[in-house]
Amino acid sequence: MTVLEYMKNNLVRLDGGMGTMLQKSGLLPGELPERWNITHPEKITDIHRQYFDAGSNIVNTNTFGANCLKFGDEELEEIIKAAVKNAEAARNTSTGAQVKFIALDIGPLGRLLKPYGDFDFDDAVECYAKTVKIGAQCGIDLIFIETMNDSLDTKAAVLAAKENSDLPIFVSNAYGEDGCLMTGASPAAMVALLEGLGVNAIGANCSLGPAELAGVVSEYLKYSSLPVILKPNAGLPKSVDGKTVYDVLPEEFSDLMCDYIKNGIRIFGGCCGTNPEYIRKTVQKAKNITPKPVTDKNITMVSSYTHAVIFDKSPVLIGERINPTGKKLFKEALRNNDIDYILNEGLKQQEKGVHILDVNVGLPEIDEKAMLEKVCFELQAIIDLPLQIDTTNIGAMETALRHYNGKAMINSVNGKEENMREIFPLVKKYGGLVVCLTLDEDGIPETAEKRVEIAKKIIKTAKEYGISKKDLIFDTLAMTVSADNNSAIATLGALNTIKNELKCHTSLGVSNVSFGLPHRDILNGAFFTLALENGLSAAIMNPNSNEMMKSYYAFKALKGLDENCSDFIENIENYAISQSSATANSPVSENLPDAESELQRAVIKGLKEKAGSIVSSLLENTDPLEIVNSQIIPALDIVGKGFENKTMYLPQLLMSAEAASAAFEKIKIKMKENPTETVSKGKFVIATVKGDIHDIGKNIVKLIMENYGFEVYDLGKDVAPEKIVEEAIRTNTKLVGLSALMTTTVPAMAETIKHLREKAPYVKVIVGGAVLTKEYADSIGADFYAKDAMETVRYSMEVMENEKAV
Amino acid sequence: MNENTVFVKKYRENEILPGNESEIWRYAGFLGSSSEIDGELKHTFNEVQNEIGGMFSYKVCYRRMKIADRKKDASLPFLAGSKALSALLKDCDEIIIFAATVGLEIDRYIAKQQKISPVKALLSNAYGAERIENLCDTFCEDIKNQLQSENRFITRRFSPGYGDFPLEKQKEMFALLDPNRQIGISLNESLLMSPSKSVTAIMGIKNEKCESTSANKCNECSNKSCVFRKQGNK
Repeated sequence: MTVLEYMKNNLVRLDGGMGTMLQKSGLLPGELPERWNITHPEKITDIHRQYFDAGSNIVNTNTFGANCLKFGDEELEEIIKAAVKNAEAARNTSTGAQVKFIALDIGPLGRLLKPYGDFDFDDAVECYAKTVKIGAQCGIDLIFIETMNDSLDTKAAVLAAKENSDLPIFVSNAYGEDGCLMTGASPAAMVALLEGLGVNAIGANCSLGPAELAGVVSEYLKYSSLPVILKPNAGLPKSVDGKTVYDVLPEEFSDLMCDYIKNGIRIFGGCCGTNPEYIRKTVQKAKNITPKPVTDKNITMVSSYTHAVIFDKSPVLIGERINPTGKKLFKEALRNNDIDYILNEGLKQQEKGVHILDVNVGLPEIDEKAMLEKVCFELQAIIDLPLQIDTTNIGAMETALRHYNGKAMINSVNGKEENMREIFPLVKKYGGLVVCLTLDEDGIPETAEKRVEIAKKIIKTAKEYGISKKDLIFDTLAMTVSADNNSAIATLGALNTIKNELKCHTSLGVSNVSFGLPHRDILNGAFFTLALENGLSAAIMNPNSNEMMKSYYAFKALKGLDENCSDFIENIENYAISQSSATANSPVSENLPDAESELQRAVIKGLKEKAGSIVSSLLENTDPLEIVNSQIIPALDIVGKGFENKTMYLPQLLMSAEAASAAFEKIKIKMKENPTETVSKGKFVIATVKGDIHDIGKNIVKLIMENYGFEVYDLGKDVAPEKIVEEAIRTNTKLVGLSALMTTTVPAMAETIKHLREKAPYVKVIVGGAVLTKEYADSIGADFYAKDAMETVRYSMEVMENEKAV
Repeated sequence: MNENTVFVKKYRENEILPGNESEIWRYAGFLGSSSEIDGELKHTFNEVQNEIGGMFSYKVCYRRMKIADRKKDASLPFLAGSKALSALLKDCDEIIIFAATVGLEIDRYIAKQQKISPVKALLSNAYGAERIENLCDTFCEDIKNQLQSENRFITRRFSPGYGDFPLEKQKEMFALLDPNRQIGISLNESLLMSPSKSVTAIMGIKNEKCESTSANKCNECSNKSCVFRKQGNK
């Protein structure tokens, strides 16, 4: 009998703590427990046997840390083989009469993945894969991925397991008191991610005692359509008379576990501090409990690395602004690799209250695959909203889905056979909620009925791939009413049928309805309300549209989806004023006689908004370059000098720099109208060197350099020497700035300089960072050691002056 | 205490020593007097304070260990090879080794502000630095009080990277504490910890009360040009 067959009708009993038992057997502090599989096989076997004797169905091999980061390939193989053998020996000699399985235990690698750590997702998958491959050869019954405290790391381990074996996969995560993983994921987010990846059982283990995990367990039971695992600690360790004792004893532990089992836990055991006694007691008490059936919760959800967004009655807003279509500046940002511009589009939409961000970076002349992966990665570093990956490039789609931290929305599939053949395997492998466009080989049907037919075909085909209806969301295609007066009727009709008869969720790109008509916003808002009333679950929309936002809040309030109308009351003020009166109210000037000095004062005092608005009004009748040269730069100089003379400090310098940036924003837009003019003082490539992930200092330099008119190409942090050289050559810069904050990463700086000297000897290299000194900078061959941002500016200006002179 | 056990201690916000605003300003590179912090900057600081309130999760994992033979002890290999650490541990027969963190959320906030407002990034980074130092102070105070009943005393804390105690030793500290599993700290290839606002350190335990720990610890650091270097006794 396989473990999957067994668990269908039975409760599954796991084992208890391994570490605690090993310490009792004499494992020393700092000693690697996995080596004991080889050095003390009899002790390991004995521990496993005790658990089997206590009634465990599954014991986990002693391979928690058996990975290629801790062991060389050869030793790794030896350890895993020995570990499985030890478990098998226990199974063969145990007196327990129950059905017995052996799970390959996989714990976290102990390295945090990028962006907050330095370990690459692909490397993590590869690392786990090594362990999985060896284990799978040894004849184990399942893979048990446990104690994972990060969602992306969990995904890496699961992918490795899926790609290198056909074994059942159990996954259990370690939650803190706040009910989230260390890196922030809620249980619902993990349910979404792991169900999407198609594992066989999910749950929680370690870090807390059974009582403290109550909240986590109830979330799992609420959202999960898979059997739920619970493997808590025996409470917390305490020191009593020089001995360690855990504060939840077997009696209490087993009582608590039985309550959970009655509530629906199907797979149970213990973690740190538990021993065979805990398992025996729990097994005995749970003997007569009838397992609660596992039901399909039929919840449509996507997730980010923190939370799940659930599609239910309340409409879901999907921000559409990360998309180059019809946006000149966005296209330019894509061509220039200006990720910050794109991130800002994301941040602005988050501020406006969207729930999901659509991400489309398709442009013929760029490498969409690389760009989409990069943008999704950077967005997920700073924005916790789930993403909707929007591309027609299958390769780009796969890479983005593979690296996405959570369960993504996928935009899109349609009724064409070929398209479904490409998209559905990706949905099946990586999980996702896929937007299904109701069109097929014959185009978009004019009638609602035909669109519904296509929807049915898509549902049927998805089922063949093992994708259930809850992971499909139908877009019945809004078309402009200016071309066909009945098009909205067809869209809404199909929407209504799909939602109410096929019982599927729906979404629309709402604003398409008004294409070619004046005051589109008004039509969009009305159509949005109509669509919501016809069963629209989600809208791909522009959150800057007042009318759309009004419809959204009004609909929720009118349909009983906004308790006490509190969302409406809190937010509607922002949309009640029209655009024109909003700008008229902004404080452009405060009747000060001398607008010139006012701008300088705003910059010096760090008044961001004021600096921006003053420049806006100045631009009406002043040349942009004139404003820069006669006002902004002099103001910056005053601050810069103050900083150098220590009458002003870094926070104040930055306040001014931000205010100046706000002013430059307006100037840049104005100057785009007349592209021959330029404020550029020269180019400057900047990066934090390989291995180092500090970038506050680097970003300060970047900002100040931009203020002084340099075109800054920021490569970010942890940048390989080759990449820096490549960018220096590509941009033909004369100046490169390198930052390193740790003694351990300064060598990477030296390495980078060496590369630059070889490939771009004409480049001047400026270095900086807390651990550097002038002497050190000289010794690694830098041209200049800058102790702060102002020194970088001064030196760079000098270099550019000399360039000109030559 | 059992040598084999790594204990975890979690603190609530109100259990941590109160925030020290002047330290935060110092970490942010502001070395003037607080009266120079004008309206807009103060306002930004208050905004940061509000936005990151509740973001910190204060956790420490620690282990108390005997020093049998400083040179040979297999489980404490890092004790050899640093004169500064040896000096600190003179007369000590036990140590407390610990790792502390205030969690990852502040890192995310800082990263986000890097894209929005460099001032806020700078201030929140400084705020996080103050919080982790404060957590360490709180924890050390706790241990000090605990040891009073045994009539034992602790030295001040000492971390890899201080003086001649190389950063490399982080690896050994991590092997002993398993802070990844205990409280979610991981170690990068360049020996940097994530979350970034994390600390590992060692304190000695001995029978005599230690000399005042208020002496300027900057004096022991070799980075003479550090902008954060506290002035005073050279």
